[in-house]
Amino acid sequence: MPANLKEVRGRIASVNSTIQITKAMKMVSAAKFKRATDRIIQIRPYSTQLSSVLSNIAGSLQGDVSISYAQQRPVKRILIVLITSDKGLCGGFNANNIKAVKTLLANDYKEFVEKKSVDLLCIGKKGNDAFKSTKMYINTEFLGLFAKLNFEETAKAAQYIMDAFNSGDYDQVDVVYGQFRNAAVQIATKEQFLPIQFEVSTSKTNADYAFEPGKEQLLEELVPKILKTQFFRYLLDSNASEHGARMTAMDKASENANELLRELKLSYNRARQAAITTELTEIVSGAAALSAG
Amino acid sequence: MELTIITPERKVFSGEAESVNLPGVEGRFQILNNHAAMICALGDGELRVKSGNEQLKFQIKSGIVEVVKNKISVLTEGVIE
Repeated sequence: MPANLKEVRGRIASVNSTIQITKAMKMVSAAKFKRATDRIIQIRPYSTQLSSVLSNIAGSLQGDVSISYAQQRPVKRILIVLITSDKGLCGGFNANNIKAVKTLLANDYKEFVEKKSVDLLCIGKKGNDAFKSTKMYINTEFLGLFAKLNFEETAKAAQYIMDAFNSGDYDQVDVVYGQFRNAAVQIATKEQFLPIQFEVSTSKTNADYAFEPGKEQLLEELVPKILKTQFFRYLLDSNASEHGARMTAMDKASENANELLRELKLSYNRARQAAITTELTEIVSGAAALSAG
Repeated sequence: MELTIITPERKVFSGEAESVNLPGVEGRFQILNNHAAMICALGDGELRVKSGNEQLKFQIKSGIVEVVKNKISVLTEGVIE
């Protein structure tokens, strides 16, 4: 069976190169994953401090304040921000997020879809690829945000969305992203970005603060900052999730490829042995025939 | 007193300071030891820190400062050193 032997040898070579690729991708993802999780840790002091300042101001406020970003309006138009990755090969990460949006559109927002009053803003190419064949309007203004992920660029995107909300283009903005738990677990999550929902804890107002300028103006300054930080966090989470998912996927792929390789080697050795046995039998029986004759 | 300057991307400064000069939205002001608790919005501009013989300068891009019990936290969106 020399033909079969050659075939198996070819497949072994191809599986070997696949292992090399998946292993390399796993290593690269592991490094990127480390950096991504570091960035999530870096943002924590800033965001916790911001929310503590917010609760300090809100705690000393009497009555309601009208903040434009917290305005609850009757919902006529919705914007869904879908955060996915630019590249594939990361297991079900993108598929899960896309599925979450599809379920949302098919159930909760069904009426809005019929009235064509749901728009989509995609960050990351994969989300756009999945929805571009539908009749929905897709905003691709910030499609390539992941190419250069920093606070400045993200803040621009957040400001753009906040402006669209303030001008009345949309009455509600949702974000769908892969929430980061750990390298193996990412949860496709939908969160309401705007109007912002305050969780004011009036429990701790330990110090008597002086405010400059007034509390209302301070809140007007603070709320956009909190929103931008929140938005940055969605992206950082998604980034870490993506690399975590790819790392896990590539680990699994290497494992499977190794398994495949083992089986192929076994069948190769079997085929080789069978060929040798056949050849021997032929020689022996040939010799036997000669000596008999 | 203790000063920390943080941005969403990193911790820029953390340490002792004798005086901090800040670009408030309604004009520059200085914070010395035992300042009363306050929260103040900051504009774009230079933040000057004096600690010992050292004088440090940071260009900040808007932010918020919180002062409470000799702890100053500056939260800013970006810093150019």
